[in-house]
Amino acid sequence: MSHTRLLFLSFVIVVAGSARADLVNKNVETVVDISSQLAKISNKVTVENVGKTTLKSLIFGVPAHLKERTSFVTAKVGEHLLRVTETKLSGQDGGFWKVDLRSDLAAGRTLQLNIDLVLSRALVPHPGQITQKEKQLVLFEGNVYFFSPYLTEKQSLTVNLGTNSVESYARIQPVSQSDNKLNYGPYEKVQPFQEERLNIHYENNSPFLTITRLERLIEVSHWGNIAVEETVDIEHQGATLKGSFSRYEYQRESQSGISSVKSFRTALPASAVDVYYRDDIGNISTSHMRVLSDSVELELRPRFPLFGGWKTHYTLGYNVPSYEYLFNQGDVFVLKMRLMDHVFDDMYIEHLITKIILPEGCHSIELSAPYAVERLKDTLHHTYLDTKGRPVISVSKRQLVENHIDDFELRYKFAKVLMIQEPLLVITAFFALFVLVIIYVRLDFSISEEEEHSRVDREHKDK
Amino acid sequence: MTTKAAPQTKTGGFRMSTDKQETLLKLSILSLAAILSFATRLFSVLRFESVIHEFDPYFNFRTTKFLAEEGFYKFHNWFDDRAWYPLGRIIGGTIYPGLMVTSAALYHLMWMINITIDIRNVCVFLAPFFSSLTTIVTYLLTKELKDSAAGLVAAAMIAIVPGYISRSVAGSYDNEGIAIFCMLLTYYMWIKAVKTGKIFWSALAALAYFYMVSSWGGYVFLINLIPMHVFTLMVTGRFGARVYVAYCTLYCLGTILAMQISFVGFQPVQSSEHMLALGVFGLCQLHCFVDYLRGHLSASDFQVLFKATIVATGTILAVVTGILTITGKVSPWTGRFYSLLDPSYAKNHIPIIASVSEHQPTSWSSFYFDLQLLVFLFPAGLYFCFRQLTDANIFLILYGVTSIYFAGVMVRLMLVLAPVMCILGGIAMSGMLNRYMKDVDASPVILGMPAGNLAQGKQGDKRSKHKQESNFVMKSEVCVYSHQVAIRDIIFQFQIATLFVAIMCFFLISYTMHCTWVTSEAYSSPSIVLSARSHDNSRIIFDDFREAYYWLRMNTPEDARVMSWWDYGYQITAMANRTILVDNNTWNNTHISRVGQAMASSEDKAYTIMRELDVNYVLVIFGGLTGYSSDDINKFLWMVRIGGSTDRGAHIKEWDYYTPQGEFRVDKEGSPTLLNCLMYKMCYYRFGQVYTEGGRPPGYDRVRGAEIGNKDFELDVLEEAYTSEHWLVRIYKVKDLPNRGL
Repeated sequence: MSHTRLLFLSFVIVVAGSARADLVNKNVETVVDISSQLAKISNKVTVENVGKTTLKSLIFGVPAHLKERTSFVTAKVGEHLLRVTETKLSGQDGGFWKVDLRSDLAAGRTLQLNIDLVLSRALVPHPGQITQKEKQLVLFEGNVYFFSPYLTEKQSLTVNLGTNSVESYARIQPVSQSDNKLNYGPYEKVQPFQEERLNIHYENNSPFLTITRLERLIEVSHWGNIAVEETVDIEHQGATLKGSFSRYEYQRESQSGISSVKSFRTALPASAVDVYYRDDIGNISTSHMRVLSDSVELELRPRFPLFGGWKTHYTLGYNVPSYEYLFNQGDVFVLKMRLMDHVFDDMYIEHLITKIILPEGCHSIELSAPYAVERLKDTLHHTYLDTKGRPVISVSKRQLVENHIDDFELRYKFAKVLMIQEPLLVITAFFALFVLVIIYVRLDFSISEEEEHSRVDREHKDK
Repeated sequence: MTTKAAPQTKTGGFRMSTDKQETLLKLSILSLAAILSFATRLFSVLRFESVIHEFDPYFNFRTTKFLAEEGFYKFHNWFDDRAWYPLGRIIGGTIYPGLMVTSAALYHLMWMINITIDIRNVCVFLAPFFSSLTTIVTYLLTKELKDSAAGLVAAAMIAIVPGYISRSVAGSYDNEGIAIFCMLLTYYMWIKAVKTGKIFWSALAALAYFYMVSSWGGYVFLINLIPMHVFTLMVTGRFGARVYVAYCTLYCLGTILAMQISFVGFQPVQSSEHMLALGVFGLCQLHCFVDYLRGHLSASDFQVLFKATIVATGTILAVVTGILTITGKVSPWTGRFYSLLDPSYAKNHIPIIASVSEHQPTSWSSFYFDLQLLVFLFPAGLYFCFRQLTDANIFLILYGVTSIYFAGVMVRLMLVLAPVMCILGGIAMSGMLNRYMKDVDASPVILGMPAGNLAQGKQGDKRSKHKQESNFVMKSEVCVYSHQVAIRDIIFQFQIATLFVAIMCFFLISYTMHCTWVTSEAYSSPSIVLSARSHDNSRIIFDDFREAYYWLRMNTPEDARVMSWWDYGYQITAMANRTILVDNNTWNNTHISRVGQAMASSEDKAYTIMRELDVNYVLVIFGGLTGYSSDDINKFLWMVRIGGSTDRGAHIKEWDYYTPQGEFRVDKEGSPTLLNCLMYKMCYYRFGQVYTEGGRPPGYDRVRGAEIGNKDFELDVLEEAYTSEHWLVRIYKVKDLPNRGL
């Protein structure tokens, strides 16, 4: 077995090019945080160029079973973000990313960088169904080793569980448990692409809320206001509720339904006003708003507590002044806003659609997104006092986490004189109406004199 | 009156002529009244939100939404499988579509000019909008009946009359909201037609009547009232060509148009409720024919012919009616109609009619509550009408007298009474003020001093003498003594008039206050959201209904069947979007009875019924924790009665649910049948452990004021699926049959 594997490995190395053999991970310190519904992996990697040529990039990855679950990756040197692009290695079915280094890595030099990954849905409820009394247990299947095409000389791994009740965990020596942490390693001489399942079965009662669909609508007005409306579909994707729901126990015992979600906090921009929170059947009266110095914090309580498998749907909207987000020079405007915003901590969004409605008459629209997004077809939106409709820019993206909260830039041209079009429209309409009334009142449209009518009336009265 | 006093010294710059001033004044009063009638109905929107109220409006809202989204053709052919499972309901053919068509038309119109308003908001604000229109139509109608002054008073009164507001606050999206407008519009057109005898107006009346028919079942009142008017005109010898033209046009056109509404169908020519109209139509022809013959025959010949014709016609009519009734061509007298004539009819025969609170007879206090001052102005208004009898006034008198009878029979017909009360009240108020305002107006002019000085007494008299000579029409040879007496009389008159006007003002102000208070306190709660005051006087909101309905919507399978008492049917289909067994359209008594039987039976018997009806979830309303009194336990006796009213429910007897003393009790003393029936168990499941009030044992029901009698029990065939935060709504899931061999 190991023989074929070695053969296979050498084959891969040959195919993938010579650059790979030139790097060695001198030291990797990995911290895996699985205390929330996401698995956040941060690697502190020291690489050394052991080859003879100067290197401009390096590659790292995740094993195949985590590939689809990786939502977010970054690489940093110090505080500087590096450009990360997805890539493929032939012969390998894992997911790989290429990091462009800021400065060339000369032969013999070392470099320390931080590579962070966020995995979503890597924690699977196990068992998948629990009663209201029971606690939620989840199973994490990660990889013990830093998954890299290079040799790793030394690696250590810390798993942050957020709880000390662990059912079982992978015993890959050396390993020790302390309080709510698991310490693995250090391991020496880890071969490239080496996999070892890191299976941990433990208690996790943090909210397992997934936003199955988030539609964010940004409506820009040049009169000083930007309206934001988010339509959210949430599902509790933790262990589903088995058997009945007992309101009595839920109200009496604090441990009852501990994995259910009663409420969550949403942070809105500090300048948000006119906040509303409603759904298909009206206003949801159970929410609290607190204005903090740097944000407006909303405590949103769905109409009912969310147990495993339960869903809800709501709309949250607010207004922000445009001067904070809209900049212009002459007729060129730039809108700089978040492509998506915070809904709750450690959130996971399956599908995001952001729509930006620009004022009527905007043209030459260019969008630059902070990460790759799918641009949907532009449409037109007709609303109050529109004649030809407002341009709507829509983008869509799947699998997002909190780290994706970032600004997009939308550049467009708009002739300011068009702003008076709408007031003029109203004035003209009213003017026309009044003129019509004046004409109707002043002129006599009857064909004949209505003498007979008055005669009949008189007769009638006499009677 | 004020305009008459205006001096003739006009034509300086912007000074307007009296005519224009009057128009302006009328216009502004009328538009103020219209705005007021809209604004006063917005209490609930401001206090809660823009939401649909009560039960029936939810159905109307749902159908309107369907119409707006799917178009009229699909709406017309709509078979609704969400209600009356497994029977379903043909919506298109069983409703009056006027309301939905109106809102959908408004909605499309607004979208056409890019006003992107939500359909829900159209529905919520439709009733206030139409009451503004009603205000204007009331003015026009009263103007035709009396004069524009009375019209203005009537318009102002109808703008805020509680009897009408109760059915037309924002969110109360029901047929009545537009029907009153249609009714008054038809009356206006009718009066116009009678006055002018023009086909134009009576054709318009027929159109308005068509609109009325399309929107409310109460059109029957209208189609009986107008023939009655015609008949009365005949009897009083006022029948002539004008009335003939007006009525024949209206009847022919109106009947043909009414038959276009599929829900009405052939009723206008078949059902007994429409026979008066047909009969009067026949009489009109006879009357005219007789008039024609009278002109061509000698008196004695005419007498013979007349008698013969009457006997022959009477016999033929009786025979034809008899045959038609026996063969079933003419529909039998429906229960609803009987209950109009005989208030106790429904209660004795049809429990489902009797169980609806708005079908109960009206109490005296509610007349005052809903009409206040108008109750007293009504006879005065009738007096004014009788004093100056015209064709139009006879109509008004008939309308007033019949509607006050019907309003006495059924609470909900108060709505029909309110407009005529306002019209008569307006006529009375305007007539009385007209009489006395002249004195108030005239006196200061005569005496030549401001009104304020007059109270000071008679020293002003002598000073004013010379003024009188120039202003007052009085013979110059009047002596000083009689002069003084006359002045004293005038002053006396003036004081009486002032007093009278002051009292009337006081009445009107108190009317306004009363109306506003009633609107705000009694008629502006959406009933879907409840609110209460806590100890520290802050407002607590109970939003449990929507909480539970939304839970059903989000967390049950799309095709789940929900069983609940029929009251909540419309709300569940509209808000939870789930299939229900029975709803507020109580067309199938046996089906409702079956649900009643399930609720009233013991658990295992109920399970058989629930399996038979293919039920997935059961929903009950329980107020025992919060003290919400109109919950299912309080409605339970109706379920028992209705459940026991059919053959299959013969085993359910009302007396089994009472104690031997004949009381309905939920505590230990209560009847064992009650304490073990499904409804009881569903309401009180696990309630026995809850402490509801300090100093009371657990399981204390705050509505019934008793500790429940059956506390520790488990449910075998059901499991609690959801209970809302304040326990108002409890939803149970019906378990599947157990696996065999276990």
